[in-house]
Amino acid sequence: MAIETFYDVMRRQGISRRSFLKFCSLTATTLGLSPAFVPKIAWAMENTPRTPVLWMHGLECTCCSESFIRSGNPLAKDVILSMISLDYDDTLMASAGFQAEACMEEAIAKYKGNYILAVEGNPPLNEDGMFCITGGKPFIEKLRHAAKHAKHVIAWGACASWGCVQAARPNPTRATPIHKVLDNPVIKVPGCPPIAEVMTGVITYMLTFGHPPELDRQGRPKMFYGQRNHDKCYRRAHFDAGEFVESWDDQGAREGYCLYKMGCKGPTTYNACSTIRWNGDTSWPVHSGHGCFGCSENGFWDKGSFYDRLTDIHAFGIDANANQIGGTAAAVVGGGVAAHAAVTAVVRARRNSKNKKQHDDHSGDNNA
Amino acid sequence: MQLDVGDGQVDAAWVNSPLYRGFEQILLGKIPDDALVYAPRVCGICSVSQSVAAAFALGDAYRAETPPNGVLALDLIHAAENLIDHLTHFYLFFMPDFARPEYTAQPWHADIHARFRAIEGSAAPEFLQARTAFMHLMGLLAGKWPHSLAIQPGGCTRAVSARERLHLGNIVGAFRRFLEQRVFAAPLDEIVALDGRDALLHWQAAQAGQPGDLARFLALGEALELHTLGRAADRFMSFGAYREADGAPLFARGVWRDGGLDSLDVDGIAEDVSHSWMAGDTAPPRTARTLPDPGREGAYTWCKAPRLHGEAVEVGALARQLVDGHPLIRDLVAATGGNVLTRVVARLLESARILLAMQRWTDALIPGEPFHNPAAPLADAEGIGLTEAARGSLGHWVRIEGGRIRNYQIVSPTTWNFSPRDAAGQPGALEQALTGTPVDSPRHPRKIAVQHVVRSFDPCMVCTAH
Repeated sequence: MAIETFYDVMRRQGISRRSFLKFCSLTATTLGLSPAFVPKIAWAMENTPRTPVLWMHGLECTCCSESFIRSGNPLAKDVILSMISLDYDDTLMASAGFQAEACMEEAIAKYKGNYILAVEGNPPLNEDGMFCITGGKPFIEKLRHAAKHAKHVIAWGACASWGCVQAARPNPTRATPIHKVLDNPVIKVPGCPPIAEVMTGVITYMLTFGHPPELDRQGRPKMFYGQRNHDKCYRRAHFDAGEFVESWDDQGAREGYCLYKMGCKGPTTYNACSTIRWNGDTSWPVHSGHGCFGCSENGFWDKGSFYDRLTDIHAFGIDANANQIGGTAAAVVGGGVAAHAAVTAVVRARRNSKNKKQHDDHSGDNNA
Repeated sequence: MQLDVGDGQVDAAWVNSPLYRGFEQILLGKIPDDALVYAPRVCGICSVSQSVAAAFALGDAYRAETPPNGVLALDLIHAAENLIDHLTHFYLFFMPDFARPEYTAQPWHADIHARFRAIEGSAAPEFLQARTAFMHLMGLLAGKWPHSLAIQPGGCTRAVSARERLHLGNIVGAFRRFLEQRVFAAPLDEIVALDGRDALLHWQAAQAGQPGDLARFLALGEALELHTLGRAADRFMSFGAYREADGAPLFARGVWRDGGLDSLDVDGIAEDVSHSWMAGDTAPPRTARTLPDPGREGAYTWCKAPRLHGEAVEVGALARQLVDGHPLIRDLVAATGGNVLTRVVARLLESARILLAMQRWTDALIPGEPFHNPAAPLADAEGIGLTEAARGSLGHWVRIEGGRIRNYQIVSPTTWNFSPRDAAGQPGALEQALTGTPVDSPRHPRKIAVQHVVRSFDPCMVCTAH
């Protein structure tokens, strides 16, 4: 056999042609492409040589891997797992220790210039990198070495993209996002963790089309990070109506009111949570009655308490494409809340007088 | 990990945790409630356990009262994570080691390789699919996982409606079918009723022909004599876990030492740093600091060495089931002590017990009643949050002054199990367990026994030093 394609790998894994075509059409849907792209994806999968993916771990908590292997669509996950084979992944691969290190070197040498490097976590620069030693070396060395020969570099999650929790003030280890230590362009897939379908979607896009999807000015794929969680939030109508939750599990919470006053950062967070959602489209944080806390945004740890309501207008406009629009949105949101605060008290008083039967009937609305 | 090897076995082991992020330093000065967002990120595998410990610590500090629904909702979210952790360990990490080429010549290898080899064996996709469906429970109750935000002092932000309770019941029921068909190939009631080694052997014999994965493992355990591997000091601790509707814990709190049960004195816990890259001296978590000192003489890890009244203890499912008094585990440990085999059997037995409890808790939820009681944060307070992650005892200690976090200390399960030596030279549980492990015997070639011992603790490196 001359070249091994993704399709060959899938068939070897026992995935039927029917399942394969289903995967292609699901992929097109996830990526927001028209059905006309389905044969194109199928053609690419059947004819393009398999691109290996090397997956590295620096300072992190493994939540990105956890998210990835739990992709809501089992088919997508199985296909992706077999497709990329995770040639090197500290967490999921079969080998361990020095054997694992050898696998990594072998993969780099064999696929020089033709592999995707996916990085979960980041390198700490303090103390010569000794806060994160893997395979006997500081992670920063290993990262630079692997990136040198990579075709594309993906930053999985907030750790690799922005630094995340360990880079929160005072950042004792000097944890540093990977784009600051590498010369390669970096495709950022932020989130803590990113949504599984976003991760599989980004990889599939790259494998299918041979190039990364269109990125925003911060390096995030526009197809997933082009809109704010607020834009498509199912509680948005309550925001517009000035109906807010005032404490966890209060009557407003049970009626699905807006969580803005509980600290929700949905209005300034660019992500696909409100559309793709989590755990196989079951839910997302706002659905659990807690606000969004903005985990796909740069520096979200150091913008004041997570339970403060957004008041800082400068917090808006962090996304490149929100330069102009963001300013306007901020003004609207700020004004809206001032007006709504008074209204809420009235609404709440009225709601309190409602009879219990109605409340029970409404309690299921959270699942909208 | 550094091993001294002599005469075909490990003479001494030094366990190293090469990763440090600094949570306890970062939390200083923050608004206490923000710990609920920081804490889960200690670990993406057991983030709910970290959330629960943080919510308990803050709840203790604020004197929060959790309504029964809130208790049950937290139990369900937490139990789901712990249960799935046990099986993830079994299917994705522990069993694939037996499919490795080192064992190709063994008569059982073909069957184990077909079922358990990493990612490609028949078990992995089956399990991952069942796991994904089961985790919809996390979606319903906790919004997202890992790193839910729904767990708060005083309960859960998510109220469950009658319709959703039905949905939860279906999810738990579907996973029970996976356990009964694939993991055990037997009804769960039959598994939890096993009351000793003889009963287990008898049950295993009856499984021949159409074995479940537990029976497969037991046969493997017998062939490889896994009960001879990985014995530590046989001192076990459990903080106790989950609460029934009447407030009683599902798994009891206590210490198992010298073959008997003791009560747990939480004030007897202190962290030794004599061999850690940390500044300072031995201190209880209430007052301890976590300040890195990479130049510390004699240190070899970022992990501290927690001790209970100066003694190293082992934590995990085996400790929980022993302390709780399950007759099967008590009998197995009486016969061969804590080892690779008993650790894995305890994990699977506990999975069956947890699933049965989850069905009970789902039925006990009362839609319409509160899931959360608000508690006013106090400007000056102290709190302790003790719980059990899948891997063992987890504690958070918080002190709040002037409305800010003045001190926050986290002692995670793997910190106990993977702790380095202390000032008295006493090794941690894994260091003890590795001593005497064969490195290249006909039964366990090429250091693979070392790997089984390490994996039997289901370690979590990111939790360890955090």
